[in-house]
Amino acid sequence: MSDDPRPEDVMAAEYALGLLQGEDLLAARAREASDPGFAEEVSFWQQRLAPLLDEIQPETPREEVWQRISAELGGASDTAEVISLNARLKRWKLATGFAAAAAVAAVSLLVLSPAQTPVPQIGPTPVAGDPLAASIPIGDTQLRLAVTFLPDRQELLISASGLTADGVHDHELWLVPQSEGAPLLSLGVIAPGEERRVALDPAVAAEMADGSALVLTREPLGGKPADADAGPVVAEGRMHII
Amino acid sequence: MKRASSEARERLKAAMARLANGDRAALEDVYRATSTKLFGICLRILKDTKEAEDALQDVYLTLWRRADRYDPERASPISWLATFARNRAIDRLRVGKVRGASVPVEEAAPVSDPAPLAEDMLIDAERDERVHSCIEKLDDKTRDAIRTAFFDGLTYAEIAENTGTPLGTIKSWIRRGLMKLKTCLEVER
Repeated sequence: MSDDPRPEDVMAAEYALGLLQGEDLLAARAREASDPGFAEEVSFWQQRLAPLLDEIQPETPREEVWQRISAELGGASDTAEVISLNARLKRWKLATGFAAAAAVAAVSLLVLSPAQTPVPQIGPTPVAGDPLAASIPIGDTQLRLAVTFLPDRQELLISASGLTADGVHDHELWLVPQSEGAPLLSLGVIAPGEERRVALDPAVAAEMADGSALVLTREPLGGKPADADAGPVVAEGRMHII
Repeated sequence: MKRASSEARERLKAAMARLANGDRAALEDVYRATSTKLFGICLRILKDTKEAEDALQDVYLTLWRRADRYDPERASPISWLATFARNRAIDRLRVGKVRGASVPVEEAAPVSDPAPLAEDMLIDAERDERVHSCIEKLDDKTRDAIRTAFFDGLTYAEIAENTGTPLGTIKSWIRRGLMKLKTCLEVER
């Protein structure tokens, strides 16, 4: 229709509302990061729309949520777990003989939470299950994608240090479920050069096992579109107990 | 709508300032003052208690780790936190989409509440509330589409699918509605 606004005139509003997905969403994110005028406009929309949020009925979260946050801030359990994980990683490194540096880097994220108090020699905290790790070689480069799964937290640590974005593709990590024929489970789009913690859906976490296969696919920016098949597999690896 | 006392607002502002200085106790103060509002938002967008709890946890941990992101010069703490929670919940929704193809559409898109429900919550009295009257000026179908996007975190494609309207038509309605909204929001008082 002829009186439609030009897409670039409403992009900030569309982005602030959350209407965008796929490549449009990625384009808007990139623009927010690189174009101060656009970022200003996004901020205008967010501030002006914010009063609408008052219409939403407040709900009281379970007390457990605060306890989880508080524990995450750096209770003793974190530190103990890091000690235990580092020990496991060392053993893993020795046993397999290959450099687990990237995986260690990912695990070290745990110690970055501020103001932790070291716990002297109380021994490792028992964990619900053994952590799993995979180190996935990327093409014929020296680079590896390090993936660590912490079963008791149902969290995945993904280290993509050294990887760079090509600006036209994203890479999405998938878990191959244990049951034959089940669809691949997305573990998210890889953030090149970053180390990320990802909270896994319990259904996805339940599929993580010793020997689970991971595949990395090349996708359009933003990850696999909902209505498209996954892109080509560019790398793969397996999770193993460490 | 009951307004938060200016005292409560000042306390929150002070707690946010302490947070930026790395005071861990300040996070609990901010949590106690804002978590019901933020949890309501996460629950509304994600429609799943577990997901909403995870989102809430993520919001406050990110707030703690990146307390420098909040600029008191630009926005009131509660508006900023509410927007931040909504954005994180929507991010979570988009990531989950890939694996969440099993969510039935009817379940994913309940009808938006038509009336404000706010009662005893922290609301910032100083900000610009024009959006309420501006959005009322839109025609029904445009207003509903924009409200659904805002409150349920739906994308263009999802709104088109849920309403059985062609994507191009939905985009056209919403874009024109957004331009009208912008003009209304920008009018000098």
